Amino acid sequence: MSVTIAGVETDPAYEAKLAAFEARIAAGERIEPGDWMPEAYRKQLIRMISQHAHSEVVGMLPEGEWIGRAPSLRRKLILIAKVQDEAGHGQYLYHAAETLGATREEMTEALLTGRAKYSSVFNYPTLTWADVGMIGWLVDGAAIKNQTMLARCSYGPYSRAMVRICTEETFHHKQGKEMVIRYAQGTPKQRQMAQDALDRWWWPSLMMLGPHDSDSPNTPQLVKWGIKTKTNDEVRQEFIAEHAPELQEAGLVIPDPELRQNPDGTWHHGPIDWDEFWRVVRGDGICNKARLEAKNRAHDEGRWVREALQAYSERGRAQAA
Amino acid sequence: METQWPRWEVFKQDAPKRPHQAIGTVHATDPEHALLVARNVFVRRPSAVSLWVAPADRVLTVTQEELQGGRREEASAAKDAQRFQVFCKTSHKQSLAFADHQGEVRARSPWEALARAQETFAVATPLAWMIVPEDAIVRTRDEDAPSWFDPARTKTYKQQSAYGTVSAAPRAKARPGGV
Repeated sequence: MSVTIAGVETDPAYEAKLAAFEARIAAGERIEPGDWMPEAYRKQLIRMISQHAHSEVVGMLPEGEWIGRAPSLRRKLILIAKVQDEAGHGQYLYHAAETLGATREEMTEALLTGRAKYSSVFNYPTLTWADVGMIGWLVDGAAIKNQTMLARCSYGPYSRAMVRICTEETFHHKQGKEMVIRYAQGTPKQRQMAQDALDRWWWPSLMMLGPHDSDSPNTPQLVKWGIKTKTNDEVRQEFIAEHAPELQEAGLVIPDPELRQNPDGTWHHGPIDWDEFWRVVRGDGICNKARLEAKNRAHDEGRWVREALQAYSERGRAQAA
Repeated sequence: METQWPRWEVFKQDAPKRPHQAIGTVHATDPEHALLVARNVFVRRPSAVSLWVAPADRVLTVTQEELQGGRREEASAAKDAQRFQVFCKTSHKQSLAFADHQGEVRARSPWEALARAQETFAVATPLAWMIVPEDAIVRTRDEDAPSWFDPARTKTYKQQSAYGTVSAAPRAKARPGGV
């Protein structure tokens, strides 16, 4: 399939460059900043990577609310480390987007003004401490499946950010799983909390992996260019195949009466409520407004720190001059 | 919206015998700030003994494709030879790092340093070069390394390995303490 973009067809060598570019990707080479790439590849990556970075940054909020209410010092230390990691992951990803010509300033502004999209899963509230564990197990579990796939991305900086993130994300996943299993095997009240958290987080976790392949017209092109190496439904299958048996083994009931393994090993799940998904994407989720307000408040309240750092370094330069 | 701070390339050494590696960039107001941000962004686990930073606009990065396409820039050459640190990306394999430190060359400009690097370092498949002027680099000090990097060592709860295999199967011995 050929992509026509204003300006591209004026380059007489475009077809030859595109063929060479696609041959490099087919050969398993990674594209690095400075290499030739189609404008559609660059744009698609900036869109994906910046959204991904915003998701990490906004993802700090639902869990961060629980740092002060963690049930033990150990759990508090773990949660602080996890939230710090999400901040770092946002930084790795903003860097990767910057290598394509996006600026930190533009991306920050897009997030703060609400123009930028981020993963809708973070627009759901964390009602109990069990939600913190369930997010670690399911939301980070779904993220790892996606990020492991993206670690094979043809664009070097994105691939490297993903490899780095996956190594840290495994800790997020394990601590969440450990916490939920402990609740699932705990007092009746704890078991109820774990089940309640699963009831609320199962479907958003499935939605998080994106629309069905039949509704993802860009996927074939993304796969051809090695931006994605698997489709949304393939990654969703992997997620269910790992997590459904483990949740059941923990004695929890997955809130999908249709869920079952097919004779061929794949999993059949009930219909996903895409109306809800798109409603939240469009901004009508429970927490969209609160998340945006929190980010803006943090940005405004942090201004004096940024100004102080700037003033300090300017004074240092003036003294050195 | 205020103007963004300058970008700094970050180079991290994982262990005393390993080369420094280019791992990404951070935004910061000055070199000392850049080192601090680099530590917080890239070293939340015990995985460094040294960090270097250099302003991104003083680093020459050239890919193999650009070299084959004839990218060359006129650079004003200094009167005397300067020191340059040389990094090279050598593989398409999945990796945490972009380019590994190869060593040092002396030259009167970054492009001349690149030519020297290509003669000096026997890299089988040089996929990208990074040429960093020595006078642009700021490093963590050896005497600061323990306070900068050692605290992460005791925070084993951040390591996925500390959790072993997590499963709902009956446990031989439950960990004491609450949830």
